[in-house]
Amino acid sequence: MRVISAIAVSSTLVLLALCSLVFAQPRPLPVYVVIVHPANPAVSVERKFLEDAFLKKITRWPDDQTIRPVDLPSSSPVRRRFTEEVLERTLESVKSYWQQRIFSGRDVPPPELDTDDDVVSYVRKHDGAVGYVYAHADVSGLKTMGIR
Amino acid sequence: MFSAHPLAPSLNQRARATTSVQAGAAMRRWQFLTILGVLLLPQNARAVDVGQDGTPLSVEIHGFVSQGFILSTNGNNYLSADSTRGSFQFSEVGLNFTKSLTDNFRVGLQLFAQDLGPSGSYDAKMDWFYLDYRFADWLGVRAGRVKIPFGLYNEVNDIDQARLPILLPQSVYPIEDRNFLLAQTGGEVYGYVDLRGAGAFEYRLYAGTLFFDTLVPPGSPYQVVNLNVPYLYGGRLLWETPIHGLRAAGSLQDLRLDASLLDDNATVNVQIPAVLWVGSLEYAAGNLLLSAEYSRWYSKSNSSDAMLFPASPTTISERAYALAAYRVAPWFQTGAYYSLLFPDVTKRDGRENVQNDITMMMRFDINNFWLVKLEAHCMVGTAGLQPYSSLNDNAPLGALAGTWGVFLAKTTAYF
Repeated sequence: MRVISAIAVSSTLVLLALCSLVFAQPRPLPVYVVIVHPANPAVSVERKFLEDAFLKKITRWPDDQTIRPVDLPSSSPVRRRFTEEVLERTLESVKSYWQQRIFSGRDVPPPELDTDDDVVSYVRKHDGAVGYVYAHADVSGLKTMGIR
Repeated sequence: MFSAHPLAPSLNQRARATTSVQAGAAMRRWQFLTILGVLLLPQNARAVDVGQDGTPLSVEIHGFVSQGFILSTNGNNYLSADSTRGSFQFSEVGLNFTKSLTDNFRVGLQLFAQDLGPSGSYDAKMDWFYLDYRFADWLGVRAGRVKIPFGLYNEVNDIDQARLPILLPQSVYPIEDRNFLLAQTGGEVYGYVDLRGAGAFEYRLYAGTLFFDTLVPPGSPYQVVNLNVPYLYGGRLLWETPIHGLRAAGSLQDLRLDASLLDDNATVNVQIPAVLWVGSLEYAAGNLLLSAEYSRWYSKSNSSDAMLFPASPTTISERAYALAAYRVAPWFQTGAYYSLLFPDVTKRDGRENVQNDITMMMRFDINNFWLVKLEAHCMVGTAGLQPYSSLNDNAPLGALAGTWGVFLAKTTAYF
């Protein structure tokens, strides 16, 4: 009986959550630009390469430089758009992916920096770094990279 | 400890030491601290970095604290001796440290303590520790105590925040066999190979042994004087197909458990070889996740003295499940699975020979570092319970209620 009650309560909560989804208004996400260190010889990169790099499945650029991906915080709409378009996953599934990796001892996620300026500064300092920032951010001195 | 695992079906009840009385005070203290930890963890908590990034002293630290609640019905105690009245003996605490010594070389370790019914009792242990060197993306090696890649989710069997279910489908991922399935001590070779148009595959091959405590439960006719695993090896091949989000995998594990048992003044040596395999399929697209796995476990037992400990021929168990999950909103995910277990494929009739488990699950992410889960199981059959277990007054499975339910709630804080 207690289990049946619990199921009834659970079903009600599911319905409430579905309602919140139906009435939710999606907001457009901001445009981003991918940035790399100016010494990086590549001019464009395949989407799959970036996906594997940000999930740390691959660790080397074609010239054997170590890839150093850097993320914006998970609350950032720029990160959400980048994640959905380049990683082709939801932000939540990426967070789950990293939880699996962290706590099974496989790897740790890329550093999360708070602002576009922090990401720009990180990429400027590290040769193999790759990041993404809001399209109108100041990226002077860095190289922007096209995605194929 | 041995529970439903095929390695030691006849050692079952002997190795399930009920330590709740001895550990009572410590348990209550830890439960209080666990709940406190869940409530007090700051909402803006992140991984802790000790030392400036890139310096020799920099270490990345992550951790989690979980507290669960189990309630079972129809008189069948499940996982805990008090589950029919509701039990909080369902807690986990983990803390890990990772240090990159060079671009290719990492070390790490995780401390883990749990309380789950009669097992755990908050004895902190090294969950895993390793040295990891990656020669290239397609070739790396790890040495130490490494989590076993078996199926899609074995490595997250004790990581609540990394999955939707509180209990993964117990036919394939029995939580009570954590000692056997979760991690091995030895080495591993791994790699990731991009197949271009054909997708990519990840391989992991390992060999080593298992270490666990030798328990002497009260009332056992035997004393376990020695318990070891002379060999264990296996691997997993995982293919990321060209269809984004579709993965297929095959896992195999071969091992042998050797035990020396003392019965009065006579010693009997027992060998239990086992082979386990599982085929896996997963499809993730947007907010949808579908997965299914099918597994068979083969085991037998050899005995140096059949009068004291009977040998048994090869037994094949069959295990399968199908799971569907959907993220309705960033803070809410729900799903269901059906799990099926036959401990012996030649015996499919009778409640004690089958376990059907239909489960509904919900996960609420309160914020990025705190979640709450609810889960309801409708159980038909008793094969998922422990035979002659002190949890159920040493009753045979055929004497327990054939239809029963389990409700679980769990909250986890992590960083």
